[in-house]
Amino acid sequence: MRSPLSAIHWLAWRDPRRRAATLLRFAEVEADGGRDLVRAAEVTRDPLLRRLFLKHALDEQRHADLFRGRGVALIRGLPDGGDGGPQARWLTPGERGLDDLRVEDEGDAALLAFLHLSEKQAARDFAGYAAVLGADEATRAVFEKVLHDETFHMTYTHRQLRRVAPERAATRIWTARLRRFWKAYLRLASGLAGLAGTVILTLQFFLILPPFALLARRAARKETPGWTPVAPARNGSLEREY
Amino acid sequence: MNILGLSAHYHDSAAALLVDGQPVCAVQEERLSRRKNDAAFPLGAIEWCLDSAGLQPGDLDAVVFYERPMLKFERILTTALRAWPQGRSAYAHAVRNALGEKVWVRGLIQAHLGVPRRKILFTEHHQSHAAAAFLTAPTDAAAILTADGVGEWATLTVGRGRRPPGGATSLELLREVRWPHSLGMLYSTFTAFLGFPVNEGEYKVMGLASYGTPRFADAVRQVVRRTSDGAFALDLGFFEFHTTARRSYSRRFLDVFGPPRAAWDPIDLETEDGRRYADVAASVQLVLEEVLVDLAAALRRETGLADLCLGGGVALNGVANARILCESGFERVFVPPAPGDAGCALGAALYADRIHFAQPDRPFPDHPFWGPGIEAGELARIAAEDGLAVEALDEAAMLERTAQDLAAGRIVGWMQGAGEFGPRALGHRSILAAPHSAETRDRLNRDIKYREEFRPFAPVVPAELAHEYFELPPGGLRLARFMSGVFRVKPQWRAALAAVTHVDGTARLQALERGMAPRLHDLLMAYGRLSGAPVLLNTSFNLAGEPIVSRAVEGYSTFRRCGIDVLVADGVRTVKRTRATIEMEPEEAEA
Repeated sequence: MRSPLSAIHWLAWRDPRRRAATLLRFAEVEADGGRDLVRAAEVTRDPLLRRLFLKHALDEQRHADLFRGRGVALIRGLPDGGDGGPQARWLTPGERGLDDLRVEDEGDAALLAFLHLSEKQAARDFAGYAAVLGADEATRAVFEKVLHDETFHMTYTHRQLRRVAPERAATRIWTARLRRFWKAYLRLASGLAGLAGTVILTLQFFLILPPFALLARRAARKETPGWTPVAPARNGSLEREY
Repeated sequence: MNILGLSAHYHDSAAALLVDGQPVCAVQEERLSRRKNDAAFPLGAIEWCLDSAGLQPGDLDAVVFYERPMLKFERILTTALRAWPQGRSAYAHAVRNALGEKVWVRGLIQAHLGVPRRKILFTEHHQSHAAAAFLTAPTDAAAILTADGVGEWATLTVGRGRRPPGGATSLELLREVRWPHSLGMLYSTFTAFLGFPVNEGEYKVMGLASYGTPRFADAVRQVVRRTSDGAFALDLGFFEFHTTARRSYSRRFLDVFGPPRAAWDPIDLETEDGRRYADVAASVQLVLEEVLVDLAAALRRETGLADLCLGGGVALNGVANARILCESGFERVFVPPAPGDAGCALGAALYADRIHFAQPDRPFPDHPFWGPGIEAGELARIAAEDGLAVEALDEAAMLERTAQDLAAGRIVGWMQGAGEFGPRALGHRSILAAPHSAETRDRLNRDIKYREEFRPFAPVVPAELAHEYFELPPGGLRLARFMSGVFRVKPQWRAALAAVTHVDGTARLQALERGMAPRLHDLLMAYGRLSGAPVLLNTSFNLAGEPIVSRAVEGYSTFRRCGIDVLVADGVRTVKRTRATIEMEPEEAEA
C-alpha cells in the first residue's frame, strides 16, 4: 500500500536540483549525528554501548559520504552545474539528526530510546524516498544501502534499551516520543516567532529608521578612510560597556 | 587577586583564570563541549577553570569580558542604517541576534556567576588582542600590531607596550583602522569566494596560495587600496558583507575574479578553474603580505623598537608573519599561541591585572599548556574493556617504543599533560608521523584528517637543531616556537622531509625547546637516533569538523575511528588490531 506521504515525497524529490541539495543536507545531518554518537560513546560507562555507538558513528559518517557523493554527482549532471539552488530546508522531509541533543545530559536509557525513535523515523522516511525514486536508480541505491544500516541501528538501540532498562523500556520510549513531539513544537514555535520578528523588524526598518539612516549616511560621508587616532581616554576605564 | 577573563558569542569562546597575576588555566569552550568553534557563553570553560583552581565565583575579584558589547551593537546598527534600504535583512538578523543574548553580557555574567555588578569589567576587543600578544611575550618593550575581521569598530590597531623593571606596565593603542575597512574581512571574503568556511578555512586559502601565481594581484590591489596616510581602505563596491548577512562579495567582485567555487566541489589543480582558484588565493595572500609588511615597517620606523607583538586572527597567517620578520626591520616578532578571539580571554584578564589594577608585572610562562590534563588510567581501562593490548610503560620505554613505531611508519596519537590553549597542537595533543614520505602525507589526508590534498602538514624539530633542516632568518626560532611562521626547508632536506615540505619548498615548523615539552623533545631525539633526522610530522589530534581532543577518552574515540595506529597517553600505550573499524564479538554484532 502506498504511503499517504508518497505524493509529498514525489514532489520533494522530483526536481534534480532540489534532490541534490537535499542529499547534501542529509550528508550534513548524518555527519552531525555521527559526532553526537561519538560524544555518546565518550560519555557512557558501558563498554558494549561504547562500541555500538562508535560503530554507529562510523556508519553515519559512511552515510554522509554516500549522500554527499550522490548529491555532487547530481549537481554535476545538471545542465548549468550550479550551487545546489535554494534549499528550502523546512519544506524538505527527512531525518533531523539527534535534534541538537546535549548528549552529556542524557542517561544511556534515555539516549537509546531517543536514538531508537530517530532511527525508526529515518528508516520510514528513507523507505518512502526510495519508493518514489524509480527513475533515479543511483539515488535509490544510496537510500537502500543506508536503509540496511538503519534497520540494524533501530534493532540494536531497542535491544540495548531493554538490556539497560529492562523494566522501563516502554516508558522510556514513550517519554522520548513526547520529547520529540515537544521539540517539534518548539521548532515550529521558534520558526513562527522568527518569522514574526522578521516582519516587525522589517516594518521598523522601513517606517521608523529612515531619518536615522539619513543621519548615519551623512556621518559616514564625513569619515575619511585610513588611520583614526585612539583617544587616550579609551585606554582607561574598564567599567563601560560602550 | 583572582581574575577571570572571558571571550564569547562570535567564534571560539573561552575562559582564562589569573591568580595573583599568574595564569592558572585557560581553555576554549569547544574543547569541553566538543562542538567545533563553540561560540556559546563559556559556562563549561568557566566551571573547569574555577574547579581547577579550587575557587568559587565569590572568590573572584573581577570578571573581564573581552570586548564592549554595547559599542559593538552600535557598530552593527549603524552599519545596517548606512546600508538603508539594502540592509533590511542584515538589520533584522543583527537585531534578533544581538538582542537575544549578546548585548546583555553583564546580566549574563551576573546570572551565571552571581558576582556583583562592580566586579564585571570590559576591555576593548583590540585591547584584549594587544594584551594577549604583549603581556605574554618575553619582552620589556614592543610595538604592537593587531588585525582581525572586526572588534567593536576597530579592525586593525597599532600601539606600543612597556614593562620597565620595577615600574608600571603600560599598553597604549595609538591608531586604528575602522570598520568596514578590514584586512580580516578582505581575507574572509576571498575565503568564502573560494568555497571554504569563514573563520575556519583561512588556513586553506594560505595553503592553496602556494599552488598559484599571483596574476590577480593588481585586481586585489584595486579592492584594497593604500591611503595617503599609510593605512588602507577597501573599495566597498566589491563587497556586500556590510549590507547583507547572506553574501560577502558583490557582483563586481565576480566580474573581476570569475565565478565562485561551490563548497562541495573539490579543487582540481589540473583544471582551468582549479588553477584560477589557486591564482586568486596567491594574489590575495601576496597583497595581504604587502600591506602588513608596509604597516609593520612604518611602525618600526615610528617606534624605534626592536620587538613587534602581533595579535588578532590575521596573526595566524604564518607566511605573512615570516615576511614581516624578514622585511619590516623588527628583530623579533612575537605571536602568542592563541592570537585569535579565544586568546582574548587571557588578554582581557591580563589587561585588567597589569593595567587596570596596576598589579606588578610578572614574567609570563612561555608555553601554551593551560588546558585540561589527561588521566592515563582512563585510557588503560577503556582500551582493556575493548580488548585492545594496553601497556603501561616507564618514561624511557615509552619514548623508545614510540620512536620505533614512528620509524616503522606507524601513525601515533600523542597525548601528554595539559592541553594547548589556542588552535595549534604544539606537542601535547598531536598526531605524529614520520615526515619522510609523501605517501605518509597522503595517508594522513585520506585516512585520518579527511582533508584537501593541497593542505600541508607541519614539522616539529628540536629548536637547537632547527637550523640544520630549515632556513631560519634571525628571529625565526622565536616565531617558530608556537608554529607561527612559514620558512624554507633546506633544499638538501626537501626530499627527505617530503611529508612536511609544501609545494613551494616551505614548512610551518615548530621549533621545540626542551623546557616547553620535554617528552616530545626527548621523543624527537630518540626518533633522530633511529632515523637520522630528529624531525616529525605534527598535526592536531582531531578529525575534520571536530575540536582537538582534550581527555583520554576523546583521544581514544578518535583513534578508533580513523587510521591512527598507536595511541600514547602519558605512559600508557595501546595499538589497534585493524584500521578504523570497531571490532564486535559475534553476539554483540547481533545486538
